[in-house]
Amino acid sequence: MIQDIDVKAMKKNAFRVSKERGMTASRVRVPGGLVSAKSMARIVEIAEEYGRGEIFLTNRQGVEIPGIHMEDMPKVNEKLQAIIEDTKINQEDTSQGYLASGTRNVVACPGKRLCPFGCYDTTAFAQRMDHEIFPNNRHVKVAFTGCSNDCAHVALNDFGIIGMTEPQYDPNRCIGCGQCVDWCQRRSVSALRLEKGKVVRDEDRCIGCGVCVVYCPTRAWTRSPEHYFRVKIMGRTGKQNPRLAQDWLRWVDEDSIVKIVKNTYAFIEEYIDPNAPEGKEHIGYIVDRVGFDEFCEWALKDVELPEKCQRATRVYWDTKRYDRDNNLR
Amino acid sequence: MMPSNNPYIPFSSKVLKVIKHTEKEYTFRMAFGGEVRPGQFFEVSVPKYGEAPISVSGIVPGESVDLTIRRVGVVTNEVFEAYEGQSLLLRGPYGNGFEVEHYVDGECVVVAGGTGVSPVRGVVEALAASATPQDKHVIVGFRSPNDLLFRDDLARWENLVDLILTVDGAPEGYQGNVGLVTKFIPGLPLRDPSTAQAIVVGPPPMMRFSVKGLLELGLAEENIWVSQERKMCCGLGKCGHCRIGEKYVCLDGPVFNYTQSKQLLD
Amino acid sequence: MGYVLDGEGLDGLVRELARDYLVFAPVRKVGAGRFTDVDQVIYDFVDDASQIELDAKSDYSFKELLTPLSQTLFYYTEDQVREAGGIGSAGDPAREGDTRDVLVLMRACDLHGVKRLDAMYLHNGPEDSFYRRIRDRVHFVLLGCPQTFEHCFCVDMGSNVAPDNWEFSLERSGEGYACAVENESLLPLFERYATASRDVVPAHVTQNDVHVRVPKTVPLELRTSPVWDEYNHRCIGCGRCTLVCPTCTCFTMQDVAYTENGRVGERRRVQASCMIDGYSTVAGGASYRKQHGERMRFKVLHKVYDFRQRFGYDMCVGCGRCDDVCPEYISFAACVNKLSDAVDEWDAQHEGSVARDA
Repeated sequence: MIQDIDVKAMKKNAFRVSKERGMTASRVRVPGGLVSAKSMARIVEIAEEYGRGEIFLTNRQGVEIPGIHMEDMPKVNEKLQAIIEDTKINQEDTSQGYLASGTRNVVACPGKRLCPFGCYDTTAFAQRMDHEIFPNNRHVKVAFTGCSNDCAHVALNDFGIIGMTEPQYDPNRCIGCGQCVDWCQRRSVSALRLEKGKVVRDEDRCIGCGVCVVYCPTRAWTRSPEHYFRVKIMGRTGKQNPRLAQDWLRWVDEDSIVKIVKNTYAFIEEYIDPNAPEGKEHIGYIVDRVGFDEFCEWALKDVELPEKCQRATRVYWDTKRYDRDNNLR
Repeated sequence: MMPSNNPYIPFSSKVLKVIKHTEKEYTFRMAFGGEVRPGQFFEVSVPKYGEAPISVSGIVPGESVDLTIRRVGVVTNEVFEAYEGQSLLLRGPYGNGFEVEHYVDGECVVVAGGTGVSPVRGVVEALAASATPQDKHVIVGFRSPNDLLFRDDLARWENLVDLILTVDGAPEGYQGNVGLVTKFIPGLPLRDPSTAQAIVVGPPPMMRFSVKGLLELGLAEENIWVSQERKMCCGLGKCGHCRIGEKYVCLDGPVFNYTQSKQLLD
Repeated sequence: MGYVLDGEGLDGLVRELARDYLVFAPVRKVGAGRFTDVDQVIYDFVDDASQIELDAKSDYSFKELLTPLSQTLFYYTEDQVREAGGIGSAGDPAREGDTRDVLVLMRACDLHGVKRLDAMYLHNGPEDSFYRRIRDRVHFVLLGCPQTFEHCFCVDMGSNVAPDNWEFSLERSGEGYACAVENESLLPLFERYATASRDVVPAHVTQNDVHVRVPKTVPLELRTSPVWDEYNHRCIGCGRCTLVCPTCTCFTMQDVAYTENGRVGERRRVQASCMIDGYSTVAGGASYRKQHGERMRFKVLHKVYDFRQRFGYDMCVGCGRCDDVCPEYISFAACVNKLSDAVDEWDAQHEGSVARDA
């Protein structure tokens, strides 16, 4: 049998090239990491019918179904359709499976839907973000986490979004028991102190994690009606210069974040290295090359940051450049 | 200060005299003309710092009460700044106190440790003035010779009642008794332990072991009296801190008969 | 007399009542819960029927009106002590100068709770002036309780039927709202807003899902029994159980200086909890009940034994808020039942010598 396959097109269609000639793996996108039990069963079905009965759970909350013969890709795409519709993935052409794979699955911890510390609906925001940015071939990683614990490891993404709440204090409900102070110290950043029997919050130190609210026994501490976010940018793994994303914005709102991420695609188109392998380059390297101010210019185009939002005008990523120095010290 | 029916509002009382026992223990003689008995206590109120329950260590009826205070916290620190002629704010007296008359006839043992001497000082004075002072056995213990309180009284009592003064520990060469108060209980020369009365006041472990010693000596449970000390925020049976079981130390105590106090579990 | 009101009628009634009275009722505070986007039902002042949460059990009780979480007692100046005037922290400090009487909407269990608060603040030693001042202004509206909530055990505590100290009752009914009116002076008001009059008997709970067996007597020996041991590691000593309790009354004094030199300040009292560190700590640092199991014993025995020894009836009214709120899923009800089992076991082992406490 002749095997004449456009591998580049296949990859964009979310099928992997594998070690084993003629065999591929189907990459199922699960924005926010939440999949219905029904679609999970569909994934199982594909694995059993076209794969070898195995499923890889990926680091980015998708799944990969290995052991698929390349000639079965159209049939698998047909089977994937119900999953794609169920997970509400954008798709202009409903007969071709996934329309891109460059922009990676949007990751989210379970957030407020499950976790007592989650400051917002991470799943919903991840799904909204996926809807705004997918399909796109550019290599962009976005991740959402409910609080500063960063269980979703957003610091390894181009855009890491961390939930914040602004603790609201009612001194009339405070009995000065000091539990918030104690837990803030033990679980967070020691932003609280007792003064004259009441609690004082160091607004600058506070990271908006909401630990005080969780532990307050009287509801003296409550959450702000608004959900706020901290945005870390340009984190990455990789061979040359892996680094953790650094804080850029805090106390920012959801709509601004969506605009910023969308704007970044235009920045990439403008400045990406034309020789980047497979047209993929971590945005951070582009920023390193063209300058942080230029990035800000593009990313913040038509964005009106709320008054409360604080923005770092300089961001430093202090990490090892393996492409320059691979010594252990 | 305005007179008020509000029991939380303290009244002003002049410091007539400050007697310094040790660096950490002073007695403040406060002007007070009302009724009060040994074993009762006042809330000493220092606005901006708080209140502390302090037992009455001496009474001149119609004139004054003595409050012997150990400097252990923010409130007592402030009180120590008070000088003669100045005024302090008080609430009280609170609690039942000792019925002194109950102890003056017949044999009686008083065991007191440290500031526990304060509440029984008035009782000991009454025992010393009784018809049979020789039947009154008073064991007083302090941590060290430097911690002695009421030195003048101790010297006076020495000649009136059967006084055993002891210290937990002392530098070499110290002439007096050394050892815990409990050491001296078995040797008490009681004629009829079964009818003797006893009062025990001091830190909780000292009270526990003293009562044990007295029971072993043959004293009856119902003849033993103890005075309890607990955290208090009001002295009025409201704040709850001094509750032990169904009893409130501020209302039902601080003096409890042992038959009752043995039922109380913190 | 009983009346039936429609939604409009209730609106008018509450609006008119709120002119003559401060109205203190359970209110759903959207998003005010511990966790993100979770509501909390807390008592607050209302001037509109739509603000009243009629259907859910309140997470915190009415007691915050009578014994505020934080209440200033005195203000100090250089040489003066001035008694604080307001009704305290409940709601909005702007209401401090408001001297109107207060209507408090509450369920039968909480009405029984008032009797417990009265016992402590009015009858245990001298009267508490601050409590008396607000208590004299408080009148009750009974919220009919057609069925039990989760964790309630009012029937077993005998607090499912309200005592007779309410002005009128209020509950949903097929026609809208039903009210029984006990205070005759309110009849004209109801005549004005009711759509009909008929006999109304306030609904009360007759069956709970949770059952609690209260021990008749607790031998001294059981107060140090292994029953309490599990709570040493389970309980975190956060005190939420006592802060939501309608019958817990403890407080701690706080003195505060406003200025560096300490010449001006205030004395206030804040609610205290026997479950929280520091409750029994005396000046100098010594404390009783360091173990959480000991604190659990202290609390539980007070609720179902010690209080009864002093006042003749149990302190706990079975509202179950403690079980609703515990972050460690410790059930007070389960604890009381474990205690009763232990008492039964003890009694069986000591048969013949049981006359002691009876």
